[in-house]
Amino acid sequence: MNVVALFKIVPDDTLIKVTGSTLDLNVPAKISTYDKSAIEEAIRIKEKHGGKAIGVTAGNTDRKAIREALAMGLDEVIAIDMKEQDIYSTASMIADQLKQLNPDLVIGSEATTDSSGGIFPAYLAGLLGLPLISYVKSITIEGKKIRAERNLISSTEIVESELPLVISVVGEINTPRIPTVKQILESSKKPVKSVNANVKPLVKLASVSPYVIQRKKIIIDGSKMEEAVDKLLSYLRQEGVIS
Amino acid sequence: MNIVAYSEDPEYIKVASSYFSNEKIVAVSTSDTKYADELHLIDKMDEEAIAKYLASLKPDLLITGSTKRDKVIGAYAAGLLKYPILPDVIDISGNKAKRVVYSGMGIAELEFNTPIVVSISKKNVEAKERQTQKKNVNLEEGKVKKIEVKQKGGEGVDLSSAQIIVSVGRGIGSKENIKFADELARAIGGALGGSRPITADLGWLPEDRQIGLSGLKVKPKVYFALGISGQPQHLAGIKDTKIIVAVNTDKNAPIVENADYIVVGDVIKFCQEMVKKVGKK
Ligand SMILES: Cc1cc2nc3c(=O)[nH]c(=O)nc-3n(C[C@H](O)[C@H](O)[C@H](O)COP(=O)(O)OP(=O)(O)OC[C@H]3O[C@@H](n4cnc5c(N)ncnc54)[C@H](O)[C@@H]3O)c2cc1C
Repeated sequence: MNVVALFKIVPDDTLIKVTGSTLDLNVPAKISTYDKSAIEEAIRIKEKHGGKAIGVTAGNTDRKAIREALAMGLDEVIAIDMKEQDIYSTASMIADQLKQLNPDLVIGSEATTDSSGGIFPAYLAGLLGLPLISYVKSITIEGKKIRAERNLISSTEIVESELPLVISVVGEINTPRIPTVKQILESSKKPVKSVNANVKPLVKLASVSPYVIQRKKIIIDGSKMEEAVDKLLSYLRQEGVIS
Repeated sequence: MNIVAYSEDPEYIKVASSYFSNEKIVAVSTSDTKYADELHLIDKMDEEAIAKYLASLKPDLLITGSTKRDKVIGAYAAGLLKYPILPDVIDISGNKAKRVVYSGMGIAELEFNTPIVVSISKKNVEAKERQTQKKNVNLEEGKVKKIEVKQKGGEGVDLSSAQIIVSVGRGIGSKENIKFADELARAIGGALGGSRPITADLGWLPEDRQIGLSGLKVKPKVYFALGISGQPQHLAGIKDTKIIVAVNTDKNAPIVENADYIVVGDVIKFCQEMVKKVGKK
């Protein structure tokens, strides 16, 4: 059984800061939070069913992040270098690679922390003409059959389909493992295939501006909670938000 | 231009109609609408089948809503058509669109050309009712079969219109401790919500109480963030709040930069003290 995990390398969302009228994206890169759950799930399936777990990433090809994915347990990573990308160009490049790999299962996550659109696995499935199961919270595979539990907030669905197909997982599906030092050292021997992009995006990014609301940031010391609450309540009454 | 609008929620069709008030709109939905010139009423909620049907209409512009399923259907159709796609668009004018990026921290402006698929966010709009011609469509079945559907019984708490929200994060410590926040919510007439770990992961509150990027967007007069660190994905859901109060033991938590009043201290003590004060009045 061959599984592909899709992951994206993004600016660390917890470090992005606003300076003046710009969003400072010049921060360390990381594997997008829930994409680690996609990697983890691919590795678990490989551990259980044998075969290979291959990672595919497109965009920023930061070596450190790729090494982390390999150290977690992927056998190989295909890194597609793209300076400019949109969903169409990224999916087209990834689809080309997948056609050569011909995997039984492609796993992505519900959303990345940069573009945050939450649609990539679905787009890719359409492009490849494969069935899709989105928002997967748990899966079991038997032979060519896959059964999955989907979380749609107001309802849960149990669905079944046949491999090959594409799934997108929610962050709650697993807890991604943290690689050991030994695994990190060994990961340098694993293959990374570099690919250059030759598809141009169709959507043009004109600008990105910060979306922050300025707040008052008044700090109240809570070591004497009774006084703190009195103070807070008088502020909130002044604001007219509480009676 | 051949515009097709799809959503399981007719509110989105109305928003689509408001963006293109002078163009003909063909709506595809499981529900009725008065905001389209044509309505194709489909007989089942099968994502692959709906996407294939939408693609078969060969739209120049396919607009979908932004429910979890809407977006998946629009994206699958875009993939089938090899069209570009813009998800979660908050505004369209001419060939420019705006969308929220970086987990809610930025707004991107994008330039696009048709054909394209766009998923739009909800907003309050005026739109004129149209003469809607209706037809029923029976869809083929997709390759993914539903075995079981479990509706999660919501308690009918409407967080999106609540004026006061008491919201708990991992700092509340345990499921038992939720009761302290609940007592506070009752004492001040607020609704109880939570962060994603509390709802989707730990299940200490029902999942339909999740506030944030992948949950609900709320706009109360006052929002109490109790033991919530204030990651961008949580803040994305509370941007339109008038006053944010944070209670956190860590004075360096990101929520401190993103709140109006910050009580640096223990969340349980805060709840108990608040209930005493507000209850006495
Ligand atoms: C694609 C994506 C979508 C996401 N969508 C959402 C979403 O919609 N909503 C959401 O909430 N999150 C979302 N997240 C998760 C988000 O990134 C954070 O992980 C989450 O918001 C953190 O929740 P928290 O603040 O409850 O927990 P933590 O980050 O663990 O914070 C707990 C806080 O409690 C404080 N604390 C601890 N003990 C006490 C005490 N006794 N008294 C007072 N304070 C205390 C700590 O100092 C800390 O600041 C999403 C993530 C991704 C990647």
